[in-house]
Amino acid sequence: MNAIANLSPNARPAADGLSRRNFLGVSGVFVLGACLPACAPTPQPKPTVVGTLQPNLFLALEPDGTVRITAHRSEMGQGIRTALAQVVADELDADWSRVRIDQADGDAKYGDQNTDGSRSILLNYDRLRSAGATARLMLRQAAANHWQVPLAEVSAENHEVTHAASGQALGYGELAGEAAKLPVPEAAPLKADAEHRYIGKEVVHVDAADIARGKGVFGADFTLPNMATAVVVRCPWLGGGVAKIVDPPQDEAGLVGIEVLDPAPSAGPVFAPLGGAAVIAEDTHTAIRIARDLQVEWTDSPNHAFDSDAMRGFLRAMLEQPGTAVPNAEKGDVDAVFAAGGTELSAVYETPFLAHAPMEPPVAVADVTADHCAVNAPVQDPQSTRNLVSEWLGYPPEKVSVTPTLLGGAFGRKSKPDFVLEAVELSKRLKRPVRVQWTREDDIRHDYFHAASAQYHRAAIDEQGRPTAWLQRTAFPSITTVFAAQAAMPAEWELEMGFSNLPYAVENQRMESAGVRPGVRVGWLRSVCNVFHAFSANVFADEMAAAAGRDPIEHRLSILPQGGKLAVPGMQPLEGHELDIDRLRHVVERVRALSEWDRPRPEGVGLGFAVHHSFRSYVATVLEASVVNGAPKVSNAYVVLDCGTYVNADTCRAQMEGAVVFGLSLALKGDIGMKEGAVVQSNFHDYPLLRMAEAPATTVELVPGQGRLPAGVGEPGVPPVAPALVNALFAATGTRHRSLPIKV
Amino acid sequence: MALTLNVNGSRHEVDVAPDTPLLWVLRDHLGLTGTKFGCGGSYCGACTVHVDGNPVRSCQLPVSTVSESAIDTIENLEDRHPQLVGAWVENNVAQCGYCQAGQLMSAAALLDGNPSPTDADIDVAMSGNICRCGAYGRIRASIHAAARRRAAGESA
Repeated sequence: MNAIANLSPNARPAADGLSRRNFLGVSGVFVLGACLPACAPTPQPKPTVVGTLQPNLFLALEPDGTVRITAHRSEMGQGIRTALAQVVADELDADWSRVRIDQADGDAKYGDQNTDGSRSILLNYDRLRSAGATARLMLRQAAANHWQVPLAEVSAENHEVTHAASGQALGYGELAGEAAKLPVPEAAPLKADAEHRYIGKEVVHVDAADIARGKGVFGADFTLPNMATAVVVRCPWLGGGVAKIVDPPQDEAGLVGIEVLDPAPSAGPVFAPLGGAAVIAEDTHTAIRIARDLQVEWTDSPNHAFDSDAMRGFLRAMLEQPGTAVPNAEKGDVDAVFAAGGTELSAVYETPFLAHAPMEPPVAVADVTADHCAVNAPVQDPQSTRNLVSEWLGYPPEKVSVTPTLLGGAFGRKSKPDFVLEAVELSKRLKRPVRVQWTREDDIRHDYFHAASAQYHRAAIDEQGRPTAWLQRTAFPSITTVFAAQAAMPAEWELEMGFSNLPYAVENQRMESAGVRPGVRVGWLRSVCNVFHAFSANVFADEMAAAAGRDPIEHRLSILPQGGKLAVPGMQPLEGHELDIDRLRHVVERVRALSEWDRPRPEGVGLGFAVHHSFRSYVATVLEASVVNGAPKVSNAYVVLDCGTYVNADTCRAQMEGAVVFGLSLALKGDIGMKEGAVVQSNFHDYPLLRMAEAPATTVELVPGQGRLPAGVGEPGVPPVAPALVNALFAATGTRHRSLPIKV
Repeated sequence: MALTLNVNGSRHEVDVAPDTPLLWVLRDHLGLTGTKFGCGGSYCGACTVHVDGNPVRSCQLPVSTVSESAIDTIENLEDRHPQLVGAWVENNVAQCGYCQAGQLMSAAALLDGNPSPTDADIDVAMSGNICRCGAYGRIRASIHAAARRRAAGESA
């Protein structure tokens, strides 16, 4: 094997190893260069070694020039299959039209595959750049060896390696076989930012054409021969199991059988199915129809008594007394300032339970045989799903494959693969492939709900509306209650989502939290606790401005520190990901300009502002709203995003546009309630989402961030939306809404 | 019950219960999986297809009622509306993409009856289609773009 002896651009090919003679001996043809009459470059023989260059897990260059890039993160609308490929193809300097994407199954060899927390680019930017750059270097080296010229004289651009001095060129595919014989260099030079051809540009998503033609393969579109479809009837309350199936249907055409699944314990093991009566049929409609009519008597559980209104009353009551102080977050002496008297403000804010409601309800296909299990399903983390399936079946992980389909939306729901385990269990029992299809009613009623919450803010303010003391309390059922039977208190990481990292300059500050065990499963939804913490803090800040009669943006800038990095209690951010006050102030200034904040709007039309740092990104949002025919109407949205280095500018804009719609759905409509343990809502008629006519025109500005660390894009756009709307409606009408969803 | 369906210009024989919703016949029996199941209650529009040119929610439509009709789905939309499909791709409309077949079918039916729709027309025609990812602005822009291209006689 020949070595690339020196990776410096000026290095000559290794003298030994791939000598000219033995290299050309491969082809058996030897053509001397000769100056033809026009002195055109002499055609050299093509490399004759045909092969695929696969220098790492993420890239394969085939002899025909096709570049196969492996996407190891799940696609749920955030454009990650495109973005990952952009990074690899850029450093490879590939022709984008020759790039194909392969979806990775869940395997530890890829490293983290948990598509969650807006961190796919953050975690993979450097390694995927290296993956592409490595292949590019190897192609250049192979060409340099072939032409017997120094590596430094050989350049690679747009799927072709060229030697300018001789005018020779070889396509990437032609070089793949020779390059594959070279050892993989440990490091390869990366492009300068200015040289990027795909990174930072607008690239149409790789799946866009298939989707617009109905060819995208989502969870329910994957089929196997002899596959049955199951619809599971689940107990209305958490923890109940099947006591009796009344007059179960028999001999119905298309019915395969009815299987009883045991209920999950109230907390843990992770993502265990809820249990119930599974109706398995040869086709989906038969399964849905029989499940809909199935009469099941359920065993009781303590959660049968759960009432969301009662829990929310309890959250409010807890706010009236001191909670558990966030360690190391206290500054000065809040109580002394309050005791001294002066102007005070206080308010309570409330948000309800929410359902994820991705357009694709949970669905999974499992094929369990005696010694293997194959899962194809829309999952956010195929690797942890694989481990869960492995544990469930008692099969070693290498006997389990989990391949993500396209995810028809997820928003955190499809990180929780209870629906996969249902399919696995049923396929195991039936000894044939089984698809479990959740109905919309199943999805709304049996979600891992975004937690209902309440916050109490109390501040002493000066004549400029600036806080001299700020006490904030938050209360909500923690996501950790799903995983641990004794858990009740909010976790540190939940408080770090917009609560313990409040960025305002205040000399006296205390933060306290309280929790409760709910009678339903809670789980992370897009932006997680940032949703309610950004809501309450941004509205309360707006109330401070109003109390002093000040412009909300002027006021906000006056209560932000002048610069520096925010000191936070608890887990410290990575270097480069500290909350940078200058960047926070910058997005505020930019959204003021973008929205023409100072331009008077018509009577009855108000502007509202909010800003929030989450998932390492900075987002400032202004909404323009009014009340028309008794309903809030948002006419325009302006969003400024600073996510550091970004890969696909158009995707960033799309995510902000979508975040506005997602945020307005939860601000105006989303409200899940539970009575006697059962979720009251069931489908889009009583869990409505924003529709076309209600969506504002949205203008997005991206802060140039190349050179900075990449940060999150999928989630940080959501938190500022609801508070910006509340603040806009206050500006429009003088009425302050402190509870979501907003009821005008 | 044996039925003959006319889907995307082709005749298909199926043997299903007459009350089976058209959606499941398309998906489970004809393998046309471009049409999606979103709610089963005609609320979300993910299952929108054309029946004799009209946009309908296939999730609640008994197949026995459409055996005499011309049914068109997303799978042949490009043949009929290349400008619309082209604008959709160029504008990078889809995020997750799950609702997009229904959105496109509603948009196509709008353009069939109204070659140059206003924003208000679009609001009405698209009111039955939910996009949880929130691509509404791009959907609107792409309908306008397709209308302009059709008016200009462009092929896509």
